[in-house]
Amino acid sequence: MRTALVLLLLLAAAAVAGSLVPQAGVSDARIASIFRDHPLRASVYTRLGLFDVYGSWWFTLVYTLLLVSLGACLVPRTRALVRNLRTKPQPARELDAMRHYAETTVDAGPDRALSQARRVLRRRLFRVSTGNGAGPPSLAADKGLAREAGSPLFHWSFFLLLVGIVWGKGTGFTGQAAIVEGQTWTEAHANYDGQLREGRFFDEHHTGVQIHVDSFTASYLIPSGVPKDFVTHAELYDPNGTYVKTVDIRVNHPAEIDGVKFYQFGYGWAPVIDVRENGQLIASGPVVCQQGPPPSGVSPLQLPWDCAVKLPTLRPQVGIQFELWPDSRALYGLLLTGKAMPMIREFAPVMTYRAYVGDLRMDEIQAISKIDTTAMKESKTGVLGAGETADLGRGLSVSFPDLKQYTVLEVKRDRGLWIVLLAAILLLVGLLPALYTSRRKVWVTAEPDGTGSVLRVGGFALQRRSQFEEEFAKLVDELSRGSREKVRTS
Amino acid sequence: MNVGQWSRLSTDAFNVALFAYVAGMLGYFHFLAFGRRPVWRAASLVAILGFLAHVMSVVARGFAAGRVPWGNMYEYSSLLALLVVAGYLIVVERIYKVRNLGGFALAFSVLTMAVAVEFLYVGPGPLVPALNSYWIKIHVVAAISGSSLFALGSIITMLYLLKDRREQRASPPPIMGGSVDLDAAPPHFEAGADEPVGSTAPRRGLLPSAAVLDRMAYRTIAFAFPIWTFAVIAGAIWAENAWGRYWGWDPKETWSFITWVIYAGYLHARATSGWRGRKAAVIALVGFVSLLVTYYVVNLWIAGLHSYAGVP
Repeated sequence: MRTALVLLLLLAAAAVAGSLVPQAGVSDARIASIFRDHPLRASVYTRLGLFDVYGSWWFTLVYTLLLVSLGACLVPRTRALVRNLRTKPQPARELDAMRHYAETTVDAGPDRALSQARRVLRRRLFRVSTGNGAGPPSLAADKGLAREAGSPLFHWSFFLLLVGIVWGKGTGFTGQAAIVEGQTWTEAHANYDGQLREGRFFDEHHTGVQIHVDSFTASYLIPSGVPKDFVTHAELYDPNGTYVKTVDIRVNHPAEIDGVKFYQFGYGWAPVIDVRENGQLIASGPVVCQQGPPPSGVSPLQLPWDCAVKLPTLRPQVGIQFELWPDSRALYGLLLTGKAMPMIREFAPVMTYRAYVGDLRMDEIQAISKIDTTAMKESKTGVLGAGETADLGRGLSVSFPDLKQYTVLEVKRDRGLWIVLLAAILLLVGLLPALYTSRRKVWVTAEPDGTGSVLRVGGFALQRRSQFEEEFAKLVDELSRGSREKVRTS
Repeated sequence: MNVGQWSRLSTDAFNVALFAYVAGMLGYFHFLAFGRRPVWRAASLVAILGFLAHVMSVVARGFAAGRVPWGNMYEYSSLLALLVVAGYLIVVERIYKVRNLGGFALAFSVLTMAVAVEFLYVGPGPLVPALNSYWIKIHVVAAISGSSLFALGSIITMLYLLKDRREQRASPPPIMGGSVDLDAAPPHFEAGADEPVGSTAPRRGLLPSAAVLDRMAYRTIAFAFPIWTFAVIAGAIWAENAWGRYWGWDPKETWSFITWVIYAGYLHARATSGWRGRKAAVIALVGFVSLLVTYYVVNLWIAGLHSYAGVP
C-alpha cells in the first residue's frame, strides 16, 4: 500500500501542475500569449506536456501505475473475500483468553440456550455457524463482511470508471453548431462550426438528426446586465426528417435525440445582409457575427459585433467588414460620453461598414467574421441602419433588411455515460461500508450447569475496538436475559 | 415582509451571530486556559444563541433572494461557518463530550464570516443561468457539508499535532508512536491519571489527549470523505447537464479532485505502517490547504467556469 499511497500523492502533485499552467482546450488564449511573449518557456512547456497535463505521457503513467498497483493489491484481496464469504465463521478455542470475554448463567439447557443465542446474534446481523466436533456445543458468529466487500468494490469501481470514460470518449464526438433563427441544422461532419472532436474509435457515422431553431431568447436583469436566461426554441427531427419533438434548450436543460445531446452554449447576432450588383441579388442571408475578447472592465454586452461579407467571385474581389451595434443607443452613448451602455436587447440596430477592394486571399485560413485586408484597399465607409440600403459604388449596393440571432449549441454523443454513472454509484456504495462498518467476531459455548447452563462468550473486534466494548456488554446482557445470576465479566 | 426587510434581517442576524461567536470564542479560550465550568456554560450558551441567529440570517437571506441561500461566495461562506459551528456543537460537544475545543472552531467561523462580510458581500439577487438548477441544492449542500467537516477535522488535527509533540516531550515516546490501528486507540493511560483515554471526565491538561484528538480528527475526516466524494460526483452530473461534459479539468474540478486525492491519501496513510500518526496528520493538513485553494483561490483568482463568486 505504500507504493499506492506515494502514487496517489504523486497524482495530486501532477494535477496541481495542470492547474498552474494554462491547459489546451480550457485557456487557449493564455497559451497563445505565452507562445508570443515567452517563446523559450513555451517550447519547454510543450516538451514537458505541461499545456496538456491530463493527456500527457507522465500523467497517464502515474495513473496507470496506480491502477496496476491497485489491481495487484485487489486481486488477492478479492480472492480472500470470496473465500471468506464461502466459509462459515470458524470456531475458536480458549474463549477466556480473548480481549472481550464474559460468562453468564441462563435457565435454559445448553441446546435451547444456544438456539436463543443464535436468534440474538442473527437479529444483530451476525452470520452464525454451529460448531461441531469435540467439546461443548458452540456457536461461531461474525459480521461486518460489508466492510470487507465494500473496499474492493470501491477500488474496482475505478477500473469501471476508466472503461466508461475511454469507451464513451472513444466512440463519441463533441462539437459546436452555430444555428441562425429559422434555420435547420443536420448533425453531420461538415456542418460543425470550428472544433469537432471525434473519438479515437469513432466509426465516422454521424447520426443525421436535424434541429430546426425557431427562435432564441436571451434575457438579462435590467439595468445590471446580469444574465437571467438563455433559451433556444427548437424542433428535433430524426434522420429521415420526421418530426420528433419540440424542445426549449437552456443552460442546465439539454435536449436529446437518438443519443445526441444539444446543450445551450452561447449565442450571437446574425444580421440579414443583401448585396446587389446592378440591382441583381448576388449575396443574401444572415451573417454570423462574432466578438473579440473584451478589454478588462468592459462587459461583452458593451462591445459591437464583427461581421464580414466576402465576395470572391467579383473581379476585383470585394469584402465588406461590418461592426454591428444591436442597440444603437450604445454607439451614440460611446460617441457622446465615451462609454457604451450594455446592449441587452435589439433597439434600432445599426451597422458601420468598410468596403474593401482587392485580393481576399481566400487560399489562406479565413476568420469567419474578419476580412484579411493586407492585399486590399478601402473603398467606402459608412453607417447602415436596419431597413436601409447603402451604395458602395461600382454598381454594388448593400442593404440590412433584418436582424436575427443565432444560437451556439454544444452537440455531443457519449455512450459511456451510463457506465461512468454506474461506476460512480458503485464507488459510493462501496465506500460507505468500507468506512463505517466494522468487523466483529463472537463465539458462544454452552455447558450444563444444574438445571440451566453456563454461556461463555468471547468477542473480537477488528476495527473500532473501543466501541465494541459497549456493543459486547449489550450483547452479553441480551444473551443472559432471564438468567438468575448477575453477569460476571472479566 | 419585502425583499429589503428580509435582506436587512439577514444582515442584522449575521452581525449578531458574528459577535456572539467572538464572545463565545473568548469564553471557550478562557475555559481552555482556566477550566472554569460556568465560563464554559456561558460560552456554549452564547455560541448556541449565535448559531440560532446565524440560522435566521441564512433563512432570511433565502427569502430575500427568493432562492436557496448559497448562490454566491458570501452566502456560501456564511453557510460554511454555520456548519462548522453546528459540526462542533454536535460532533465534538455532544458526541465526544469534549468541551474545550470550541474556541478553535468558533475562531474558524469568525474568520470565514469576517472575510465574507468584508470582501465578498453582495446583495441578494437571482442566480445566473448556469447555477439555476436543482443540482445547486444537491451539489452545493454536499460540498459545503464536506468542507465544513474537513475544516473541523483539520482544526482537530492541528491540535493533535500540538498535543502529540507536548506528550512526546513530557514522557518517553509511547511504544506504538501515536495511534495504533485505523481508528482505535491503544489501551493507553495518561501519565498520572487513572482513567483511560477518551474518558469524559475533566482532566488537568489543557487539551484532550493526543490519542483522543487523533481519533476524533480521523472520524470527522472519514465522515466528510464520502460526502465530498458525493459532492464531486454530483458536480460531475451537474456539469454534464449544464456544460455537456462531466469532467473538463476546469480549475474547480481539478482542485476538488486534488483535495479528494489528498484526503484519500490520508485515509490510506492511517492504515499504512510508517505513515500513521504525525505523517498522516500532515497529509490531512495539506488536504485542508488544498480545500482552501479549491474554495478561495479558485473562485477569486483563477478564471474558470466556476467563477461565480459574484464579487465585483
